[in-house]
Amino acid sequence: MNDIVYRHNRVTRATHWVNAVALMVLFMSGLMIFNAYPHLHWGSKAEPAEAFFSIYASGEDGEVRSYTELYGRRYDTTGVLGTQNTDMGPLPRAFPSWITIPGFYCLACGRRWHFFFAWLFVLNGLFYFIYNRATGHVSQFILRPRDVPKLLPMALYYLHLRKTSPQDGEYNPLQKLAYTSVFFVLTPLVMMTGLAMSPQMGVAFNWLPAIFGGRQSARSVHFILAFAFALFTLGHVMMVITTGMINNMRSMVSGWYREKFHVATAVEAPVPRAENGGADDKERP
Amino acid sequence: MTKSGPEITRRKILTGALYGAALLGLSGCDKLFDRLQQSRRIGALLDSAESASRRFLRLLTGRRRLAQEFEEKDISRYFKPNGNPPPLENEYMADAKAGWPNWRLEIGGMVERPTRLTLEELKGVPARTQITRHDCVEGWSAIAKWKGVPLARIIARVIPAPAARYVVFHCMDRDDNGELYYESIDMRDARHPQTILAYEMNGVPLPVEHGAPLRLRVETQLGYKMAKYIRRIEFVADLKTIPRGKGGYWEDRGYEWYAGI
Repeated sequence: MNDIVYRHNRVTRATHWVNAVALMVLFMSGLMIFNAYPHLHWGSKAEPAEAFFSIYASGEDGEVRSYTELYGRRYDTTGVLGTQNTDMGPLPRAFPSWITIPGFYCLACGRRWHFFFAWLFVLNGLFYFIYNRATGHVSQFILRPRDVPKLLPMALYYLHLRKTSPQDGEYNPLQKLAYTSVFFVLTPLVMMTGLAMSPQMGVAFNWLPAIFGGRQSARSVHFILAFAFALFTLGHVMMVITTGMINNMRSMVSGWYREKFHVATAVEAPVPRAENGGADDKERP
Repeated sequence: MTKSGPEITRRKILTGALYGAALLGLSGCDKLFDRLQQSRRIGALLDSAESASRRFLRLLTGRRRLAQEFEEKDISRYFKPNGNPPPLENEYMADAKAGWPNWRLEIGGMVERPTRLTLEELKGVPARTQITRHDCVEGWSAIAKWKGVPLARIIARVIPAPAARYVVFHCMDRDDNGELYYESIDMRDARHPQTILAYEMNGVPLPVEHGAPLRLRVETQLGYKMAKYIRRIEFVADLKTIPRGKGGYWEDRGYEWYAGI
């Protein structure tokens, strides 16, 4: 049993799962809200002819077809986006019911789910951040200038084009890049663009919608960021599966992780750190 | 490592629970949320976000800050007339054609001086003109120039009782079932300098599809709060006493009373 290490503290585990549920609900209820007006614009206002992205249905010869349009390029997405096949035949609906909350069309419901989980997402994130800032954990995944030259070697290592990993801390340089982007770029931006859509927030801070180019731009950026989160989550889940799903899941549920090959780079690895001349000492509390 | 003993059993339980949850998720995730949606307790829990948002956003706003005002060149070419169709009864249409000789704005409820005003009398009150952005709950925005009487001036004229907390707008438009539209805001938003009773849009008398002869503009909130076709304004202490008790037509249908988000 000597190769089992305690990898994730209680707070990290609890907030991780709350975050997972919150992100899922936010994404799905967000698509419900989008369905109420499935068009995106740049600027302050939504001039119908000037949408850069649209999902719409149209009747053609007694048949319902739907299209997704991006910058004037039109794609037939019948049955996938814009229409959904139901017992009553294809019905107009931008995103299908299996990916929205609730499944039936209800803008008021979607908004209530979205705003409740938005609060949960933010408060949960703050709790995680404050706690793990205090334990010193946060500083271990912040990408620092000295990590930048190691990004390419790390990618090459992942692609089996390099034999040794340039990792010298708890997180490898690419992990640091991913987590730093999500924590310090994606999350603040998604919060700001979300708040920029609030009329009251626009009164409080006229500059907030303005920095994104107007309220409709903020809405578009918010939509795009939602998919950036989805993409991150997809990558995250793929990594979890390919690097030992049971072991990874266990460590995020119980905290305990079974070390197999990378003892030297693991959590309890004071030896390589000492060899580095204590360069990373500052990262430890 | 003394922990490893009990750890395994807990791990087993947790892993089992996780698999169970995953299975549940795969079997009917969309149905699960639909079912939760129907639960009153879940509904009440989700509703708690509304007051949190209202308090938080208003704390940030203060009372004097104004919504962004735009320039003439920013005015939308198309402004969607959303909501109910206009009240097409003969009485309304004939009055509209004649320039509203019969229409009166009734102001009453918990006020010292209930008042009835003609459109001409309203136009005699010092007006405010603003080019602002209208944000629909659906997601779109449109910009227009509005001219009208600040509600604060009306409030000063009728003198509401100290116990009056809300201003209710009773309208002339109906839905398919014949139900009249109504809306309400609280005294804080009612007194906001940009809250006006608009009778002009983009330099012309308010068009029928946009709520002629009089509509509300509340720049701190979403479009559905901005009642059109207003005929009566009522000051009340409690929203429970008006039609279905939620403070507005859309509120009675599940939307938030506080539409500042």
